[in-house]
Amino acid sequence: MKTQELVRFLKETPSSAKEASILEKVVAFVTRDFKTWWTYKLWVMIDVLGTLTFVASYYFVSKIVSPASLIEAGYGSDYLTFAVIGVAFQQYVFSSVSTLSESIRSEQWDGTMETILSSKTSFRVFLLGESVFRFIVGSYFLIAALLLGMAIGVKITTNPGALLSAALITVLLVASHMVVGILGAAIILKVKQGDPIVWAFSWLTQLFSGVLYPLNLLPAQLSWIGAIFPLTYSLDGIRRCLTVGATIFSPAVAEDILKLTIFIVVSLPIALKAFKRAYDSTRIDGSLGQY
Amino acid sequence: MSAQSILELFREEAPKIESTSRQIYAVVWANLKILFSYKYWVLTDFLSTAASIVMYFFMGLQVDPTQLARRGYGENYAAFALVGISTSQYLWICLSRLSHSIQHDIRGGTLETVAVTQIRMGAYFLGQTIRGYLVSLFFLAGTLSIGLFVLRISLQINFYTVSAAFVTFLLMIISNQAIGFITAGIVMVHKRGDPVTFMLAGLNEFLSGVLYPLELLKQFPLLYAVARMFPYTYALDALRRSLTGGASMFSAEVFYDLTILVIFSVVLLPVGLKVLQWGYNTIRRNGTMATY
Repeated sequence: MKTQELVRFLKETPSSAKEASILEKVVAFVTRDFKTWWTYKLWVMIDVLGTLTFVASYYFVSKIVSPASLIEAGYGSDYLTFAVIGVAFQQYVFSSVSTLSESIRSEQWDGTMETILSSKTSFRVFLLGESVFRFIVGSYFLIAALLLGMAIGVKITTNPGALLSAALITVLLVASHMVVGILGAAIILKVKQGDPIVWAFSWLTQLFSGVLYPLNLLPAQLSWIGAIFPLTYSLDGIRRCLTVGATIFSPAVAEDILKLTIFIVVSLPIALKAFKRAYDSTRIDGSLGQY
Repeated sequence: MSAQSILELFREEAPKIESTSRQIYAVVWANLKILFSYKYWVLTDFLSTAASIVMYFFMGLQVDPTQLARRGYGENYAAFALVGISTSQYLWICLSRLSHSIQHDIRGGTLETVAVTQIRMGAYFLGQTIRGYLVSLFFLAGTLSIGLFVLRISLQINFYTVSAAFVTFLLMIISNQAIGFITAGIVMVHKRGDPVTFMLAGLNEFLSGVLYPLELLKQFPLLYAVARMFPYTYALDALRRSLTGGASMFSAEVFYDLTILVIFSVVLLPVGLKVLQWGYNTIRRNGTMATY
């Protein structure tokens, strides 16, 4: 075969090798992750048990809590509802977000990262594919926690407008925390260990975003820290919708939505740029598959 | 080389076997060196526990103090949570340490290597266990210090309460270590025991009343009965009654808890050791010491 013919042959795109659409690729990622997840049935059972015990723990804690500070903060008088919403949404968003860096770590460890990215899959589709399944599983556990909570006394509004508003804020909550996940993934890609961004976000938000207590209980010199984190606005908005029946047209909820939108518009491009830089840098120094 | 000289070579006196205590020391030291090479992990793990203490400190500001006081645990929820969270974390790290290390050594192929050296496996298992306790002690001391000196949470500290807490603490370790031995034995044979430890730790934490007074469980008799099957339930009750309620080890409730812990220790520890021995003998017999 002459050189010219060989070059032409390699350039040729076989008619049967049609590139899969983004949706098909994401579905392939989800199917793969589901199969892997389902092989660890005992872990699935432990996750379910974990959800049960967390809801039950706060049921008992609510029996010794006095509702005065909740009423003062405008979240009604039921601590069980307050705590279950706080912990369920906090765990939902962080279990989903941290798995992005965990997946990358695992792909590096198994040597499959280079294989996927050397195919016709862009890093954006790769990031999307790696995240979708965990968000599906996270949503399942979030709904399970809320339903379990309702079975033992969590009071959630049935007003459709309020429920839709809470769903909208949840979407914004997820989008705003994707920023954190992408930054964490960029660090894993580059330094191969640890996950300081996701870890710090997880603990700082638990402390300062009002997951277990209303922010009016924090001393004045600490309460401003919560204003930095999108979880603070998300939890405030979701609680107001689910417990008091507020909608996106209520001034407090509208303000939360505006702040979340600004956070996403400003920080998402920065996070994607950081990931792209880390990705390009590892491709240049050939360390994409190293761990 | 003649056959005779080869035989002589093999007959040559082997290097002297180190004493058991030196072997234990070597295992502890080697594993501590590995642990401290993961400085980031040590730091984040410590900060996570510290952050949870701070979180429950603020959460405790909502708790009605009379609810705790009438159950004999003092009036301060932060002190109640400090004792619960720090000791449950301590126990969780201790119990999971041995099975986790064995699993790690099986994966890394080093368990077989250790087994063919002159190190006695008893010394190896004991060394791994002691290392777990030392590391956990560091976390326990750190979290208690943050609670006591940074958050100014007050505990009842005098000779009677501290001696009661000390005796309870020792019995808590002995009675719970059996669970650590059992899971380590299972890990060796079935290669996947971590979920069992994880599940036990989760149930232990929930049912023993780490975050709420155990008496509240009485409205669910089945859960309450299960809770009383965990030695940690009695240990936590005694620790709280002494450190937050000011009771000595001769007060009726603490004395009862200590008696139950002694019974748990006497019954469970031999069972735990037997399961550990069974696990080790099984993988040696089946030749699966390096498979996972």
